[in-house]
Formats: sequence, structure tokens, C-alpha cells
Amino acid sequence: MKHRSFLVVLFSVIVFLVSPQLYANQEEATQQIITKQVQPSALTYLKKMQQAYKELNYELLYLNTAQNQIEPKQLIHGVLDGQRIAYFCYLNGGIRESLQFDGKISYYQQGNQAYSLVTNRDHSVFANIANFNFESGNKNYEYLILGKSRIAGKRSIAIRMTSKDMYRYSYIIWLDLGSYLPLRLETINKSNLILEQTMVVSLNVTESINPWIKRMSDQKAPDVLHLPQTTVKDVAPWELTWLPPGFKIIKDDQHKLMLHDTDPISYIMINDGIVSVSVYISTKKSTLTQQQNIIQRGGTLLYTKQQENIEVNVIGEIPLLTAEKIAASIKAAK
Amino acid sequence: MKEYSQDISTLIDNELHDDMVIKHILDDTESQKQFSRYQLIGDVMRDESEGLDLRIDITNSVMAVIVNETQDNKIVPVATPEKVESNVVPFMKRFGQYAIAASVAGVVVVSSLMINQNVATDPSVTPVLNTVPFGGAAAPVSLQAKPVQTKSDIKERNEHLEALLKDHQLQLQVQP
Repeated sequence: MKHRSFLVVLFSVIVFLVSPQLYANQEEATQQIITKQVQPSALTYLKKMQQAYKELNYELLYLNTAQNQIEPKQLIHGVLDGQRIAYFCYLNGGIRESLQFDGKISYYQQGNQAYSLVTNRDHSVFANIANFNFESGNKNYEYLILGKSRIAGKRSIAIRMTSKDMYRYSYIIWLDLGSYLPLRLETINKSNLILEQTMVVSLNVTESINPWIKRMSDQKAPDVLHLPQTTVKDVAPWELTWLPPGFKIIKDDQHKLMLHDTDPISYIMINDGIVSVSVYISTKKSTLTQQQNIIQRGGTLLYTKQQENIEVNVIGEIPLLTAEKIAASIKAAK
Repeated sequence: MKEYSQDISTLIDNELHDDMVIKHILDDTESQKQFSRYQLIGDVMRDESEGLDLRIDITNSVMAVIVNETQDNKIVPVATPEKVESNVVPFMKRFGQYAIAASVAGVVVVSSLMINQNVATDPSVTPVLNTVPFGGAAAPVSLQAKPVQTKSDIKERNEHLEALLKDHQLQLQVQP
């Protein structure tokens, strides 16, 4: 009996000793929940990135890697009276530069005459993710914070943008936690293999616009090239009976291939906000016996299929499965 | 006469002491003219030509020739919206350059096949990469087995694919 009461006392003493600790633990846990709520969501980070990419004055030196080939490039971005100016340059090899400003993109190449194209679309390196509507994009992608890391000497956060189906690639985006500018982008397939990588090695954000690109904006842009008439009547139109979810047809015409004076070819472009895919349908001419032909470099796929009397070519940053399904879905338009 | 050029030069430099030669030069009108030309050249070079302006401005004549040549070759001014039809040819020419600038990735697709095939042993990429028997990388055995597939066919095919890639790049640039 005495023995038992001793045990009770001992037990209560232990409970008394331990409970404050339990209590403290609980408090800590609630605190953790609060800080978790305070930490911004992946979507918030992505939106901040989009804003920073469009509104800041910065200079990026970055590497593009696809299949053992590395290409160093440079981007200088500035905002002048609300208008964006983007200067792009290949750092190795012959001088190839472009300047996008005021609805035009101008190309300059060593030894060749410069020219401009009319465009309202941003063509700089991270433009695809910087212009993507992440909010409506969550039908096709999931956003997940992977963790913190260090890129180009900056503290950064990695966000994974995972495709919800197998018809598109996934991406991992690293953002600078100071400026929110994108620092690294990887295109990965469903087995998590990196297909293409863009990695910033030097980031310089400035208060005012780079004086050199400011001066460039004063210069007259080279002549604008107008594309020849696209739609040709005497080519049978085709239609796609299947589109990967989230993709929309944004162009549908018949045109001759630029540079090559070929027969007109039926052309359809589809886009899901991140990638654009070109589908070419032409009458079969090739005597090659192979039915299919697949070329891939980085994330870009060129898929060719011969069927009956037509040849279908699908080009874009999509998995092979998607290209096959698109090609198989082609039917003559009524 | 030529052998006297050296002597005239020496005379101008005050180093000729052969009376016979001096006499000959004095008698020969050609040599006298040459002597005065040499002196003039010397004056001009020393900037002592005293107002004699020998600066030659050939810009005008060159420009005139260029202007004539331009007309001769009938070079059509490029990219003026009014002349849509005459636009086409220069555009094609320029597009060639454009394609190099903008679709380096595209061009590399075809040339990087060798690299692709090295990677082909990776099981995760096999379905994509072991199906590229095209370009110079194709095995000769399979080429012989299918005599239809000649080298020029393959070349033509590659050119077609290049054209498609370039067009794709251009479409990306001008997409709405």
C-alpha cells in the first residue's frame, strides 16, 4: 500500500516536471504554424518575380545549357518612362545582338544588315515564365516551394512548377530573395531529367537605367521587315481533333516556308501560356522509307510522321507523347 | 633613259659628281622633265610646294561611280511598306541572316545528332534518342539495306527540316 502511494507521488512529480515542457512544446508548435502562414506562398513569390522582371533595371549574365552545350549570354533590362528596353547578346562567337523596345525587336549580326520585326511579345530569356498567368495556370501546373539555396551569390528560393498531366514538361524556378528576379530555370521531364537549364551567374540590379541602353533607345531602329502574305487559298486546311489540356490554337494558316521557296504548307500554332508548338502539314514528297523521325535538343522536339499521303511535323518544347497524340489527331477540315 | 633615274635622284641629293652624266641629263629633255618631277615630289613631301595644291579629292568621282553602279544593278530598296511585292526577294535574303541569328538552336538540332546518340544509352531517354538514324550519323549498313534512301534524299530531308525549324523560330518571334 505504502509502496503504491509512493508510486503515485513519484508519478505526479514526473507529470509536474514534464508538463511545462509539454506546454512549451505546444506553444512552439502553434508559433510554427503562425510563421508558416506568414511565409508567402509559391504563387506570391512567382508574382513578385514577374513584377520584378518587368519593372527593375538590371543586368544578367547567364548560361544556357542543353545537351552538353553551354552558351553564355547577356541581358540588360531597363525601364524608361514606363517602357521596357531589353538588350540581348551572345557572349561567345560572332556578335549577335538584339534590342527590344517600343513594339519592335531589332537584330544585329556581325557582317549582316540589321533589321527589325514588329512584336509585342517579350522575347528575353525568362519571358515565358515572366508572362505566364500563374493563377489560371494552376489548372495545369502545381506550384511548390522546394527550399532555399544560393545562386549567383544570392540567397534564393526554389519553386517547382509541376505539370498535372504527362503532356507537358515541368519546371524549377529559382528566385533571388532580395530582388525576386529569376536566377535559374530548369526544364525537366517526368522522370526528373533536366532537359535544359538557364542559370544566371551574375546579377546586377541598379537604381537607374543603364545609360548605354538608354542611348540605344534614342537610335533609329533598323527597317521593319513585313512578312509576306500568309494565307494561301489553294492549300487544304487541316484541323486538330485533340489538343493537350490547357492548349489553345493561336494561329491557323497556310504559308510558304520563309527562305525556302517551297509549296505552301498548312500551319497551326498552339500555346498553353508557356510553350508554343508549331504543327506543319504538307503533302508527302519524301522518298525516305522511315515512318517517324524524332530529333530532340534540350526541351525542343522535332517530330515527323508520314501517314497516308501527308507528312506532319510537330516542333516545340513538349514531350514526345504529346507530339504523337497531336499528329495522330490531324484530320482534313470540313 | 631609265638608267639615269638613279643618277637624277643622286643629283637632287647633291651627291652626283660625274660631269659626263650631268651633261647628258642637261641635254636630254626627258631627263630634265624627270628632274623637275622629282623636285616637285620632294617639295610636296616636304610641304614646300608654296600654294601648289596637290590634295586630290576623289570622293565625288567615287560617289558618282557608286551611284551609277547602284542604278546599273537595280538594287530594290527594302522593306518599304508601299512596295510589298518588291519586298519579297530582299526579305528572303535577309531572312537567311535572321535565321542564323535567331535559330541557332534550330541549326544545332541537326548538327548535334552525334551528341544525341552518345547519350542514347541512358535508359530514360532511349525512346526518344535511339530513333534518329538520320544525317551523317546513320549506320551504313541500314543505308545499303534500303537503297531508296540515297544521300541526296537525306540531304534534302535535312534541308526541309531546317526550313521548318527556321519557320518555327520566325513564327515564335511574330506570334500574336
